[in-house]
This record gives sequence, structure tokens and C-alpha cells, in this order.
Amino acid sequence: MKKTMFLSAAAVAVLAIAGCGSDDSSDDTTAASDETSVSDAWARVTTPTQTTGAVYMTIESPDGDTLTGASVPSSVAAEAQLHETTDEGPDAGDSMDSTGSMDSGDPMMGMHEVDRVEIPAGGTLMLEPGGHHIMLMDLAKPIASGDTIPVTLELEKAGEIEVDATAREE
Amino acid sequence: MFDRVVRRPRMRPLARVHAVVLPVLVLIVGSGCGSGDDGDRLNGMTRTPPTEVGRVSLPDVSPGGGGRQAELRGADDGLMLVYFGYTSCPDVCPTTLADLGMALKGMPDGQARRVEVGMVTVDPKRDTARALNGYLGHFFAPGRFASFRTTDGDELAAAESAFGASSKLGKPDRHGSYEVAHTAQVFAVDGTGKVLVEWPFGTPSDDIRSDLERLLSDDGAGSA
Repeated sequence: MKKTMFLSAAAVAVLAIAGCGSDDSSDDTTAASDETSVSDAWARVTTPTQTTGAVYMTIESPDGDTLTGASVPSSVAAEAQLHETTDEGPDAGDSMDSTGSMDSGDPMMGMHEVDRVEIPAGGTLMLEPGGHHIMLMDLAKPIASGDTIPVTLELEKAGEIEVDATAREE
Repeated sequence: MFDRVVRRPRMRPLARVHAVVLPVLVLIVGSGCGSGDDGDRLNGMTRTPPTEVGRVSLPDVSPGGGGRQAELRGADDGLMLVYFGYTSCPDVCPTTLADLGMALKGMPDGQARRVEVGMVTVDPKRDTARALNGYLGHFFAPGRFASFRTTDGDELAAAESAFGASSKLGKPDRHGSYEVAHTAQVFAVDGTGKVLVEWPFGTPSDDIRSDLERLLSDDGAGSA
């Protein structure tokens, strides 16, 4: 069953109506406590020459769920992908050229697309710098501080969730 | 290997960051180094002996550099914060540069003026000089950064090797885009070409600022 919730990062009213019993005073959660909820959705401000961007947020799911995709309007970017930044050893993967030194003791960090990200029951998925994030490909225009980026999340159980990510420097 | 770690860097409250930093910490523990004495030590990581990058140089394509070879080290009384990254990196690189920018903004002007950020692109094919300068100009004031770019893979590899850094470009997909892996820490290099401290990804800007202020103080290592 697919349901669509129109949510905003500042939708405090939803919390009030739901009578959320949590003792967490956070006022930016986007859904009731017994449903998948999203909070602190934000996008990083980009430079004029950047063609990619990143969106971060916190997704909570009391019953567990799986994030399977995300999309943004074409006015924002050509495509949105689920990505994960990971620690990569110097010998991981295939190399297109040999610019790297293989005798380093310093770990490398790399980024790759993922098809799905699990949210354990009662758990929280943090889309955050250095971890999972939504990567915006081929930005239509630079993301400026204060911009609102509408993002549609696709979850296996909760269906589509629409959330507004606010752009900020960090 | 690493010898002085004052304390585990106070990372952002992000699980993934810990996952990334963990190998570094394991390395530290494995080397039998570290001390429980916080004393005057730095928040970042130091090595004994310190990494000496000497007079390693790369073309500086920033507006003031004119494409001439420039050394990856600080001025005589200053520091260069060297970072190997690329501009189409939407996550790790801007996070790191934003943290550096915040650290510098929080410092006294007199000290901040002695710090230059030097970014070496590990993806020169996509990172034109214009892209690199526009990218760094977003985070740092004009004249406070250097943009290093070489299309000579051997020259880049030699510079990376001097720092103990590395990078790797993945195979292009059907759209021609490719993934980039790179060493993510920032190296603070003094005027003699010595790496005084390294900050792994996720080191809070306050910790970086604190280390910079200590190094640039009259009795700090940076003034030695």
C-alpha cells in the first residue's frame, strides 16, 4: 500500500495533532511517533561551480523500513541517488589510473551508490556527512542558504514521504 | 606511526564518522602509542618522527599562483593546511572545508592570516582551475587559499606519497561518471615542510581551531 504524506521539516502541528508521547522536545519531527518520521532535513549549500549536492536527514521507523530511493524536481537536479561514503583501503576496487600511492597508512574515503538502506525496527537512519546521504546529480542551479529542496523519499512500507530540506552551510 | 594522541578526536555525533575514523584509531592502538596525559597535546594526530614533505611542489592554479610550481608548505611563520580532494565531491570534501573555514573564522585575525589552505585536486580531469578556484573561494577569502592541479599522474602520486596520502579513480560507468576515493585528513604543514598535525575527517572545527591557535602561539610548535 502506498501512501503519501506531505511533510515539512517544520511541521510542528503534526506532532501536536498526533499527541506524540515522546519526552523528546524536538519540534521538527515530521510525523507521529508510531509512523515513519523524518526530521532535520537539510541540504548543503553548494558553490557556483559544483554540479552535485547532498541532502541529509534523520529517518525514524518504529516498525522498521527500507529506504529504496529518493527524487527531487528537475528544477533542483537531474537525479537524486542514495549514496554511502565509506572507508576504503588503498587496494580496494579497480583503479582507472595509478595516481595513488599504495604504501600509505592513511585510509581513503570513497562514495558509491546504494540501492537500499535498512532502517531497523525502532531504529533511526541518519543520513549524515561521511555516511549515507542523498546525492543530487547535475544540479539545475547552485543551492543557496535558505533554499528549500523538496525531496520525495521512497520507503518499502511507508511508501512515499515528501520532505522539505532547508539549505544551510555547515 | 602515530605517537601522540591527546585524546580521541571529539567527532560529530555521527555513527558513520566513527566507522571511518576507527581504522585510524586501531592503527594508533596497534602501534602501542598514545597516552592518557592530555597535557599540552594537540587534538589531532601527530607522528614520530613527523612526516617531512620537504619542498614538494605542484602547479598552483589559483589566481595568485599563475600555474607556477609552488611548495606545499606554510610561510616561515605560518601553516599550510593541505587537503587532497575534488570538487564534485558533495559530502566529505565540503564538510571538511566548511570545518576548516569555521575554524579559521573563529581565530584571531593575526593568527588566521598566517594560515593558508592548499587543496590538491585528485581529479584534475574534471577539476579545471576555474572549478577549483570557485570551489575554494566559497569557503575561504581570496588570497587565503592555493589551488594545486597537475595533469601529470606521476607528479600527483609523488606529492601524495610525500604526505602518506593516496587517491584512486574508479572505472567510468556508462554515463562516463566515476567514483573517487581519497585520503580525507587535513595536513598542517609548517614553513620547513614538516607536518605538525593531521586531522581526520569529522574532527570538530573547534578542535582544529584550538590546535591552530596552539601551533601559532608564540611558544607553539609552529613558531619553532
